[in-house]
Amino acid sequence: MPEGTLCNKQTVDTKEYLNALLADKSGKQYYSEMEKLDVDTDKLWKSIKSTLRSRLRTWLEICAHCGMCADACFLYLANDRDPTQVPSYKIQSTLGEIVKRKGKVNNEFMRMVMDTAWSKCTCCCRCGSFCPFGIDMGIMFGYLRGLCFSQGFVPWELKIGSGMHRVYKAQMDVTVEDWVDTCEWMAEEYEDDWPGLAIPVDKENADIMYTVNAREPKHYPEDIAEAAILFHMAGENWTVPSKGWEETSLAMFAGDWGACKMQVEEVYGAMHRLKPKRMVVTECGHAYRATVIEGPYWAGLKDGRPPVESIHYVEWVAEALRTGKIKIDPAKKIKEPVTYQDSCNYIRNAGLKNVAREIMSYIAEDFREMTPNREHNFCCGGGGGFNGMGRYREQRNVGLKVKLDQILDTGAKLVISPCHNCWDAIRDMEEVYHAGIRWSFLKPLLIKMAIPPDHLKVEE
Amino acid sequence: MFKDILFGTSASPAGDYAARVAFELAGRFDAHLRLVHVLGVPSRGFSYLAEDVRTGEQVVIDDDYKAWVEEEIKTYYAKQLEKCNDYSIHVCVGHPHREILREARNSNPDLIVLGGPTEENEGSAYKKIVAGSTIQLVSKSALCPVLLVSRPAASFWGGISSVVFGADFSKASDAAFKFAKKVAASIPGCELHIFHAMDIGPVHTGLSLSQEEIEDKIREARKKIRHKYVANLEGFEKYSMEVWEGLPYVEIVKFAREKQADLIVMAYSTKDVDAENARLGSNMEQVIMRSTCPVISVNRKMAKN
Repeated sequence: MPEGTLCNKQTVDTKEYLNALLADKSGKQYYSEMEKLDVDTDKLWKSIKSTLRSRLRTWLEICAHCGMCADACFLYLANDRDPTQVPSYKIQSTLGEIVKRKGKVNNEFMRMVMDTAWSKCTCCCRCGSFCPFGIDMGIMFGYLRGLCFSQGFVPWELKIGSGMHRVYKAQMDVTVEDWVDTCEWMAEEYEDDWPGLAIPVDKENADIMYTVNAREPKHYPEDIAEAAILFHMAGENWTVPSKGWEETSLAMFAGDWGACKMQVEEVYGAMHRLKPKRMVVTECGHAYRATVIEGPYWAGLKDGRPPVESIHYVEWVAEALRTGKIKIDPAKKIKEPVTYQDSCNYIRNAGLKNVAREIMSYIAEDFREMTPNREHNFCCGGGGGFNGMGRYREQRNVGLKVKLDQILDTGAKLVISPCHNCWDAIRDMEEVYHAGIRWSFLKPLLIKMAIPPDHLKVEE
Repeated sequence: MFKDILFGTSASPAGDYAARVAFELAGRFDAHLRLVHVLGVPSRGFSYLAEDVRTGEQVVIDDDYKAWVEEEIKTYYAKQLEKCNDYSIHVCVGHPHREILREARNSNPDLIVLGGPTEENEGSAYKKIVAGSTIQLVSKSALCPVLLVSRPAASFWGGISSVVFGADFSKASDAAFKFAKKVAASIPGCELHIFHAMDIGPVHTGLSLSQEEIEDKIREARKKIRHKYVANLEGFEKYSMEVWEGLPYVEIVKFAREKQADLIVMAYSTKDVDAENARLGSNMEQVIMRSTCPVISVNRKMAKN
């Protein structure tokens, strides 16, 4: 049974294994080993029998092949209505076949399944809202990714990503020491501009526990400083945990359910330890989905809720603006046409569409909706891990076209995108298609527009 | 004067002028020279791919790759390194301003040397992640003076005999004054020229001041200079003071030319690194681009320290 040294059915639980994977440039050896990787068909079938519950089994059986899901899929539209991009076809020809064949599938088939699961579906779940039976292919592909992962058929970057969560409890190699030091650093760097600015670590019973995306401490810690400035401006009693600060889950994109549980329990552990009144998640869509929506189930919490009330950053912003904790200078509102990227994970799949509109009503003079929008908005083109996988770069770039057209049709050149994935996709879109658009998180814009309370005004 | 100099380099011709000054200074003051090269900018979402700033290629950066780039840097600066007794090379991945600041936080240098503004946001690997240019962001947050060298003429660092201090009366300007005075006082025979350029705003707006108003303001500024700076010269005698009106960066560059300045010391006072302003160029960046001598930026943090 040829298990590779890099590509195999093992999870990445040690730094050594993780470093070996990282050293394999672009996964060359990894993918070459994958071509010889055996499928453990008995394990696969056993796993399906115990985890493929009635909802998914029913969905597979009742699909009427009506094709209503086709136009719902941005990848179908972006690929000139290629029939092999119809969601129902994509899931029937992969998960449907595996079930039909009772798990008796070979290596070549599994590689096709992997390529389909990660390059033809971003799990944006848009198709589910157009299917007359409510069949959600995004949910089914999420499940299928789990099956693929357990058999070792997972894209190289996501094997690494899930390994990062297992080893560092973060999607990148940021240790607790790195994180705490970065918080100190940012408070030092910005305290001259904002008197009294602090990033309190491990403060118990705070009103807010704030959690982030590991890319912030790793590459752009300004984002943490900006969050601190806005909390400070709003007079919030807040904290960050030293452990359990990472909100994201590449493990969810990878289908590594064990690592998903580990990661989310780390965050819930911080909630138990620090007993905050609420948790606020940074401007990240999938992080919110992983920790607030899916996480409770991974952690076995029967009521389906995190241990403390948890809200997305946009909910906090809307509240701060609504209650006057943060006041916008009317003269500094965004004057140019501006549009908003509805992230699938917290708009379509968590219902925060009105919150986003409320924010725009406070900060923009010429807000332009994309068409379609809100829960019907298209995926940015980079969701579900699509942005980060070299193997599917071309397919991702083709997929970006739908979002690009939507943005250009608004006439706006500025896109507000409170989601790391969407933000990345829109940045890459500009790099690939040179459309002359700009993109931003909410935080830097809010800081520019807000009226600082008198005690925070600094003489320059 | 300087014991540890951090030189942020792209290891390409864009940084040659700054390199000349950095090596020259390290030699002159017998300082440790820390060459920091941000070799790749992270791209592709969460992936470990980065865009190599020299080749433009997408690469996975590991220790082998870093070692290779380090060798490249040694080759690029081979001549200068031959004469440099004490140096180290640090290669890293990230956004340039952040990694330079990170390295500075770890090593606590007493001077950072950077090349002048480049077209770095126009399609090169140094894609914008936060508003503002590398120069602005480093100048704003560094805990030590930042020396910026843009034009070739600015890189011929001979003896320093004339220092121009561009005063704007801010807190950062107080720190810049102290630093300028320290430099001038440490060099026998060096002159210190205290200069304030009064912004009279764009004439074409029709909001221009009357000549009486301008002269009043000049008198006021001269009074401030006497009070804030001249009173604190502590016996240093080779100084002059001037206040000119006009477009500040133009006036500073003109004044420095007249005084044959070898160095301009200015304060980085604003907390705004707005994207649009950055594109147009701040006053500081305009001076750096136009000046025939190096410019040292001193920020408010140094006033505190």
